[in-house]
Amino acid sequence: MANKDKTKSQTLLSVESIHLSFGRLVALHDVTMEFQREGIFAIIGPNGAGKTCIFNVISGFYRPQEGKVCFGGKDITRVPSTKRARLGIARTFQNIELYTGLSTVENLMAARTMLFRNTVLECGIHFGRTRREEIEHREVVEDVIDLLEIKNIRKSKVGLLPYGLRKRVELGRALAMEPKVLLLDEPMAGMNIEEKEDMARFIIDIYELKKICIILIEHDMDVLMDISEKIDVLAFGKKIAEGSPQEVAVNKEVVSAYLGEA
Amino acid sequence: MKLDTLPQYLRENYKKYSSNKVAMRVKTRGIWKEYTWEDYFLKVKYFSLGLISLGLKVGSDKVSIIGENNPEWFWAELAVQSARCVAVGIFSDCLPDEVKYYIDHSDSVFVVAHDQEQVDKTLEIKEDLPNLKKIIYWDPKGLWSYSDSMLISFDEVIDIGKSYDKKDPRFFDQLLDQGDREDFCLICYTSGTTGKPKGAMWNHKWMTGSVLEWSSLGGWNDNDYEYLSFIPPAWITEQAIGVAGGILAPMVVNFPEEPETVQEDIREIGPDLLFYGARLWENLNRMVQARMIDSTALRRFIYRSCLNIGHKVADMKNNKKEIPVGWKFLYFLAYHAVFRQLRDRIGLPSAKIVYSAGGAVSPEIIRYFQALNIEVKLIYGSTEMGVMSLPRDGDLRPESCGPPVPWVEAGFTEDKEILIKNKYQFCGYYKDPRASKEKMEGDYFRTGDFGHIDEGHLIVIDRMDDLTPLAGGKKFSPQYTEVRLRFSPYIKDVLVVGGEDREYVTAIVNIDLDNVGLFAEANHFTYTTFTDLSQKREVIALIAKEIERVNKSLPEWTRIRRFINLHKEFDADEEELTRSRKLRRSFVEHRYRDIIEALYSNKDQYRVEAAITYRDGRTGTIETSIYVNTLDE
Repeated sequence: MANKDKTKSQTLLSVESIHLSFGRLVALHDVTMEFQREGIFAIIGPNGAGKTCIFNVISGFYRPQEGKVCFGGKDITRVPSTKRARLGIARTFQNIELYTGLSTVENLMAARTMLFRNTVLECGIHFGRTRREEIEHREVVEDVIDLLEIKNIRKSKVGLLPYGLRKRVELGRALAMEPKVLLLDEPMAGMNIEEKEDMARFIIDIYELKKICIILIEHDMDVLMDISEKIDVLAFGKKIAEGSPQEVAVNKEVVSAYLGEA
Repeated sequence: MKLDTLPQYLRENYKKYSSNKVAMRVKTRGIWKEYTWEDYFLKVKYFSLGLISLGLKVGSDKVSIIGENNPEWFWAELAVQSARCVAVGIFSDCLPDEVKYYIDHSDSVFVVAHDQEQVDKTLEIKEDLPNLKKIIYWDPKGLWSYSDSMLISFDEVIDIGKSYDKKDPRFFDQLLDQGDREDFCLICYTSGTTGKPKGAMWNHKWMTGSVLEWSSLGGWNDNDYEYLSFIPPAWITEQAIGVAGGILAPMVVNFPEEPETVQEDIREIGPDLLFYGARLWENLNRMVQARMIDSTALRRFIYRSCLNIGHKVADMKNNKKEIPVGWKFLYFLAYHAVFRQLRDRIGLPSAKIVYSAGGAVSPEIIRYFQALNIEVKLIYGSTEMGVMSLPRDGDLRPESCGPPVPWVEAGFTEDKEILIKNKYQFCGYYKDPRASKEKMEGDYFRTGDFGHIDEGHLIVIDRMDDLTPLAGGKKFSPQYTEVRLRFSPYIKDVLVVGGEDREYVTAIVNIDLDNVGLFAEANHFTYTTFTDLSQKREVIALIAKEIERVNKSLPEWTRIRRFINLHKEFDADEEELTRSRKLRRSFVEHRYRDIIEALYSNKDQYRVEAAITYRDGRTGTIETSIYVNTLDE
């Protein structure tokens, strides 16, 4: 048991002294964060605080001018984003980015292309290894479909689905990559209470089943209070607090960042 | 080998077909997974032994099963019956309080529950159920971190059963041999339209005998039919056709992936035999009508013309007339132009035998499906008597439930209550011998239904209790009017009201939000909520027209004079409907007594408090007035 706790609390992902600027605009200044192998973590902050920037730095969309991104003990600051996905970092976007002309299953299968080992030629004749692989991957995808309760839209075109369901499909796509780190950028934005509760339940289910590291950006403090272990707070590109939801909620700096100086 | 009980028949099938024949198919992960008779038998065997290991007392205990249609439901029931115990079916959408009543009243020692939802309900009430030993679930999703010691998974129970079998391999066979046809094996609760539900007890004599007779009478035995299991297994009808019929006929029982995916799954299966509740036939028809409202003028024209041909030919068939060659040809054209695709769309491309039960269906619905060459056979049955009458092939009369089945004798009291003498009698109500006694009149069972026999066909009009008097003493049947009104795509539910001191008939209407919404769209007017839409001038006029259409077919004194469009929908969670979506008449009449009073006053508006749900999920109430409308005579 002690051993298990040890692996759980091992740091899986960290960003160290990140400095990111666009021209003269400083987006992130000396930001350091650590995430353990298992847990639900959150990053909060007012608009423009740099939350999504952190995600982009972790997933490799942005390259910071200073600082390091470490994953599983290795420095991945120079590793391109496609390779980071292969290492096990998956994300969803604030504005849904799906293949709208494809079905749910196809979107999820597309997430697994990087895991196919076959060649173009083999795909062309669709025999032997390709077939076997496709079945294996489909099984993983079906697990995700079952977990997220999207069976009834398995074959529906994603572009025609309502917003809440598209959000769920996007989460499914990230999950289909069987990631070690799941980055969720405002998974509950624009949802009503019922949809939010559903989404929170799915996030908890994912955590309980997969025991991975889930990091989410979210505004809704009520939801975070219930589900997250640790919260990092950003304001104007700087980290101003870190701690359990209860600690963060009473932190003076956090309160003033959210409500403005008194 | 003894063949008295259902588990014994299952063993027989296992010996006959082993792994060479499919018994069940269930869609999981988008693929149809098959179970052979061997799989079926072994699951039942191990689960049964597992239950016994966990403390099920052979020959006396009760086990409740709650969940959607899944093979595990059937396995659990057969396993319980193999141990000569009693299975109790509970509807999956019951609220925790209702579940508590069923488990408590039936003295169940185990609950076999589907998933997290059902487990949560049961855990919520377990403190009040001291006799409960274990809660067994078959879908582990979301339950990974539950640590309640009462919980155990279906597969774990099967593993326990396997090790029991290793120790004593002959035990299960001996157990099956002890089974007797008089063994009481199933409790089905009445839907409780009046008062607390009562548990009707059934034995194997019924489960095997009556179902065997029914399958050969209905022509679904020995054909290897594909059956779609969709109506709730807690209902006696699914018990007869799905559970018992699947084994006895035998048939391949297909389980859809989720209730929401049925429309897609049914198209992949193309079942030969299927059973829908009355409401589902209405919904199918409503769906097609809605699509046509939304379609182009040309398509509507083609559809209407073909439907006219279909109706004409169906009427000729019903009147036992020879169909002229010209009409046959026209029907051929219509069938291939429209009906074939339509049948495919609604999942009935190869349906050979289709049944409906659980309430009256409008004759117009039956005529409609007849036009598509689908004979919807309206069965008359009850939780206490099983099936009592059913239409035979090629002898369909839209108004009737067909002739009584050969194993019953029908009689009538002086006030035309239907009496039934049944070779396969139920064994009375569980723990309520007085109620059981009250229901019997000598050898006959009092059905509580009002009806008569016309040229050998049984016509059921309404529940005796629901026949409503008007001032002057004459009685009429509100249900008769209601089912006809519900044929309108714009009316989802309706309560027709009368009364001893009342001169005329009135109605409380629930508009169909989807279809009336389409109507609003087509007629370019906007609305905000259900309440708002229901009170629009155009909508009131629309509903008035629909009522007038039905009024024309009614005797003058039972015509509806005044009506209101209710500001909310009837809801099973508020106990306005039963779980099978039948109206709980006296409850609803009591709840809306003020509105009914307004219907019999000269007011033309009535103030109500309407509950509203905001987009973000918050709820509140607003005060609004709804119109009381008078129809011209």
